[in-house]
Amino acid sequence: MTTLEAPAEHAGDAAADHDDHDHGHHSSLGLSNMKLAMWLFLGSECLLFGALISSYLLSKARFITEVVAGNPTVINSLLADGMPQEIVDEFIAEASVEPFWDIPFTSASSFILLMSSLTMVLAHKAVHEGDYRNSRIWLAATALLGSTFIAGQVYEFTAFYREGLTYDGSLFGSAFYTLTGFHGVHVTGGIIMLLSLLVLSFRGKLRQDRAETVELVGLYWHFVDIVWVLIFTIVYLIP
Amino acid sequence: MAIVEEPLALPSGQPDKAEKPLGALSRPSELTGLKDWLTTVDHKKIGIMYGAAAMFFLVIGGVAALLIRLQLATPDNTLLSGDAYNRVYTMHGTVMVFLVVMPIGAAFANFLMPLQVGARDVAFPRINAFSFWIFFLGGLMLNTSWFIGGGADGGWFNYAPNNGIAFSPSTGIDFWNIGLLIVGIGSLTGSINLITTVLNMRAPGMTLMKMPVFTWMTLVTQFLLLFAIPVLTVAQVLLAADRLFDANFFNVDMGADPLLWQHLFWIFGHPEVYLMILPAFGIVSEVIPTFARKPIFGYPFMVFSGIAIGFMGWGVWAHHMFVSGIGPLSVTAFSVATMFIAVPTGVKILNWMATLWGGRLILNTAMLFSIGLVTQFTIGGLSGVSHALAPSDTQQTDTYYIVAHFHYVLFGGALFGFMAGFYFWWPKAFGYKLSEAWGKWNFWLMVIGFNLTFGPMHILGLQGMPRRMQTYSEAQGFGFWNLVATWGAFILAVGTVLVLVNALVSYLAWKREGKPDVGADPWDGRTIEWSIKSPAPGHNFDVDPVVSSLDDFWHRKYQPDESGKLRRVHTGEELAQPGDPTGVHLPAPSYWPIVLAASMPIIGYGLIFSLWLMIPGILLMTLALWGWALEPADDLDADHGDHHDDDHGPDTDSSGAEAELETVS
Amino acid sequence: MTGPTSSRARSTIRAGRRTLTRLAALAALALTAAACADDKPLNTFEPRSPQARRIDDLMSPIWWVMGVIFVLVVFGTMIISWRNRVKESDYDPEDLPEQVHGNTPLELAWTIAPAVLLAIIAIPTVDAIWDLEERNDECGVGEVGPGCDGLDVMVIGQQWWWEYRYDVDGDGFFLDVDGDGEAGDADDREWPLELSLDPDDVVTATELVIPAGQQVDLILTSRDVIHSFWIPRLNGKRDTVPGRWHTWSIQADDAGKYTGWCTEFCGLSHARMRMSAIALEPAQFDAWLANQSELADIPGDDDPDAVAGRELFLNNCQRCHVIDDGEIPAPEDIALVSRAAPDLTHFATRSTFAGGIYSVYAGGPGDATDANDDALPADDYLNLAELASNPDSLDDYRLNAAELKRWIANAPAQKDMAPDPNPETGLGRGMPAFTDLSDEQLDQIVAYLATLD
Repeated sequence: MTTLEAPAEHAGDAAADHDDHDHGHHSSLGLSNMKLAMWLFLGSECLLFGALISSYLLSKARFITEVVAGNPTVINSLLADGMPQEIVDEFIAEASVEPFWDIPFTSASSFILLMSSLTMVLAHKAVHEGDYRNSRIWLAATALLGSTFIAGQVYEFTAFYREGLTYDGSLFGSAFYTLTGFHGVHVTGGIIMLLSLLVLSFRGKLRQDRAETVELVGLYWHFVDIVWVLIFTIVYLIP
Repeated sequence: MAIVEEPLALPSGQPDKAEKPLGALSRPSELTGLKDWLTTVDHKKIGIMYGAAAMFFLVIGGVAALLIRLQLATPDNTLLSGDAYNRVYTMHGTVMVFLVVMPIGAAFANFLMPLQVGARDVAFPRINAFSFWIFFLGGLMLNTSWFIGGGADGGWFNYAPNNGIAFSPSTGIDFWNIGLLIVGIGSLTGSINLITTVLNMRAPGMTLMKMPVFTWMTLVTQFLLLFAIPVLTVAQVLLAADRLFDANFFNVDMGADPLLWQHLFWIFGHPEVYLMILPAFGIVSEVIPTFARKPIFGYPFMVFSGIAIGFMGWGVWAHHMFVSGIGPLSVTAFSVATMFIAVPTGVKILNWMATLWGGRLILNTAMLFSIGLVTQFTIGGLSGVSHALAPSDTQQTDTYYIVAHFHYVLFGGALFGFMAGFYFWWPKAFGYKLSEAWGKWNFWLMVIGFNLTFGPMHILGLQGMPRRMQTYSEAQGFGFWNLVATWGAFILAVGTVLVLVNALVSYLAWKREGKPDVGADPWDGRTIEWSIKSPAPGHNFDVDPVVSSLDDFWHRKYQPDESGKLRRVHTGEELAQPGDPTGVHLPAPSYWPIVLAASMPIIGYGLIFSLWLMIPGILLMTLALWGWALEPADDLDADHGDHHDDDHGPDTDSSGAEAELETVS
Repeated sequence: MTGPTSSRARSTIRAGRRTLTRLAALAALALTAAACADDKPLNTFEPRSPQARRIDDLMSPIWWVMGVIFVLVVFGTMIISWRNRVKESDYDPEDLPEQVHGNTPLELAWTIAPAVLLAIIAIPTVDAIWDLEERNDECGVGEVGPGCDGLDVMVIGQQWWWEYRYDVDGDGFFLDVDGDGEAGDADDREWPLELSLDPDDVVTATELVIPAGQQVDLILTSRDVIHSFWIPRLNGKRDTVPGRWHTWSIQADDAGKYTGWCTEFCGLSHARMRMSAIALEPAQFDAWLANQSELADIPGDDDPDAVAGRELFLNNCQRCHVIDDGEIPAPEDIALVSRAAPDLTHFATRSTFAGGIYSVYAGGPGDATDANDDALPADDYLNLAELASNPDSLDDYRLNAAELKRWIANAPAQKDMAPDPNPETGLGRGMPAFTDLSDEQLDQIVAYLATLD
């Protein structure tokens, strides 16, 4: 009878279908509602980051144009925030913000974030197979790797601030911190989700039949990683 | 970002004993009264609340509109100062777009779409409640700026850098910005919810090409929202960063390009236009076939033209920027693209005409408003073509010609369609029909007032009267038509209010007669929402409908006899489901959606006035998320994030009802 | 005037074509009503320049296409609805009309036909877009050098008035900021503007004076928010965006006054940011420009009021306003967002002030309250001050002293502005009130301003 249920209907003896992934509900696409919703949400997020990245690119280009043209308002603002004259000169000479990056450091933290996608997959696999011990290890590892990335970002922001790249001191600063900060907030949200899963797991509530929950968090986590690959390439690598 | 947390809302799946995580709050169970409305997760009640909230905001936006018209009635009028006028017209546009037209679309989508696809509720009922409350509370917060911020003064389009702190130091624009950000969260969660419902919860047999046109248009609309809202969100985040945290995104002195705002705003703003009109297109596509007693002409063309509008709507945003200085190459590309978006719209108009052609038309109020949409929208569409031609647009843009154009599209189009929808589905929502006598007054006053108000604006615009003008002088020669428009606006206001009067008068008459049953199918309807009782029972369908064709309900009533002639074999009432909720469990009400929604404006006020105020907001949000996540601990119906109350007796066998379905079909 | 005549002629032709139905006449009613309005100074149906005519010619046939579609669809729908109506009381559930589900060839036809029609319309549209980008010489607007023969004018919008700059000395609009020996190249366009604008150029406000019969190229920008420059009878509009340089062209067939209005919402007094283009015969234009290039007169001892007025100007107005008489210093660090106020060097040669909302001279030519074309004969425009000082020539034609005094004493009461320092930026927008000036002092300032011809 479960297959005849309307989607939001709930039969009294639903315990019978509770091992079923779709809970016996008729699903027109053969995909659970939650998973469909997560994909839709991620689709929407693509536009969010698309708009942010576009704004960053435009703002950076305008910043470089003004610095190269020697716009005194822009340059004085940088110097007033403590940016060394050499860096400003390098901006002008190279017509690029490249002198600012610490590529090895950011590459390392990017690598850490990418590795967390791997542990996320392993966590999902473990839950799916009912291997609760390993699932906790991999969930914790994913959260830890994500936190390491965030710690790296906090360190990087601090270093940049000390070098005079402030949020309100230049168009470039505003755009850079907004874009990477938005991504950082997304990672932080993911970490909170992972920790919540971990708590659920320790309380014995993250059983095999809830593997989809882990899968959903995983989808989100992979998305955030992919966005970082894009941001890392666009912001740091492409001159 | 509640949706981010949503996976956490998944319960463990363990059939634990119901724990009361926050013991003070036991789960609400009322089915009537205020508490029910505050905690309901029923899509129909939420739809009705969307409509009621939109009507409330319509009064605010309408009063603003009348103030604008009074100010412009005569040359050199001093009723409103420049500052007051700017705030009033900004709030008029903002309220009407975000808090009236969009929510009425959401009202119909919420109330109707699950009924049309044969579902008991939307995919995520609690998120649905959350979407409504965050829209309503965000909208209220936006409107509190009338009292504590003076209202936004940058126009609904709010161009940079005029929206910056240097040019608008009052908090009005902050309210606009934060308020709409909050409302946008509701639109986003709502769109995810409704798309999931359409795509995943259709009745057995209802393939995509058997969905009613309204459901199709809802789907397209929600996809537009899904992708358009984040772009506006980014624009607003950048603006908030500039205004509140001294960022430089629109600071020209620091090298910024103000056109960034225009691009972001219109990449959102143009799909926005279509997502306001498409629900109304869906509504008249249901009303016209019903009262013409013919199927919609060219269903696939209607569907695909809607989809085409949805896609093409993304490629024409810069036609709002023909004079912004984007260069002749861009102007050429967007001008040509804009001209061709007239094609799918034109197809719809012609298909409606073909549906009317040769029909047996019952010209009741719903039908009159539908015909009103077809004619008035055509005028708006034609004037649209004239400024798709970029050179001509350089004369017309930012004049009253544009004001006339988009009011013909959004008032004569969207709002007339919504009025048709009100008259058509009112019995399904409330159990009684609206009075036809009052309805005729409602329609004719509106159509006359509307054309008197906005028709002259074509002339004013072509005579060179710019928009957003607090006043004009005698010598400019705009006096006569402005006065006509003002008179028209008051006729229009009276006409519009009549729908509310009608609702009250008709209700009282119905009550006097002892609330007779209007019947499941008062209009000889075509789609499956007419196969259930009126007003629609809480559980919608006693048994799952099984759909075998487009206009399924109609085809069960009318079938060909031996000679192939269509005969009525059943009346709607014979086929209607009795409305017996036995054995159906419904998602239970919840406090958390409204609590979570209420936390957002508090955070918003905090951003504007004092970051300290954010702390209670964040605490409340955390509490709400926590309570939400833990609430359905005894809920097994996990993938809807919803909840079932346990008041029902043991599940009786539903096969009886299924058997009944088989005998009648 | 040729314009209204041709407009009327076109209306006559239109009337002659009204052979189809009375409904077609109704359809054209709105347009005709708009087109036949002679007392509408901003009318978009009265082109007086090749550019505006180009737009009008593009649209003329399209109004007719739109009119025909309007009649067919709107009245067609109404007729179909009326003829197929059934009274609700006569409703018979068995009486079904033919159940037509669609007609694919027909629907394809009415998908393709409009697409083809629009494709046809697109061709002249694209042509016109590029035609309107044609400039008056081979080199870019605002550039100097060989081949740059056409007249270029810089148009700068700010809250809530327009500034115009004429490069009379031929070295471009910009200083050679980057020191590469080429003035006015792209790198010299610094922001904020006053860093690089050439102070030796002729600077005027509110009225854009151009030679008739010549295409004048405009280079447009803004000092604060976005404005839009629009003289409907001379061309469409173009936004002036801070931080960006846009180009546009205008041209006037005949000498005369052409009214315009800022058309991009620009804040408090958007409704009072008006302007006009004044076209003079080329010889007159040269004379006008020569006069503008001169320093302002310094009043002599025979005019003690004006001398006192100049002193008052120095102590009050000079904080923001420029009067270049070789002695009064240019203002520095103006406490306005736009960092500029109208240049008053030749104030008395203008017909309007305060963003085009008041007449400098009342009761005669150039009275802003009478905005018709021929209200301002170009001959008179060169001699406004002289005419006003000679009351015999025109009855009641005089300096609008009362309005000028009201304005100087309390400008924010006349026009919505925000002159008080913004709490965030410390900068104001618009002209402050000078309520502590006595009536006599106001008279003296006005007397001084009247000498600035």
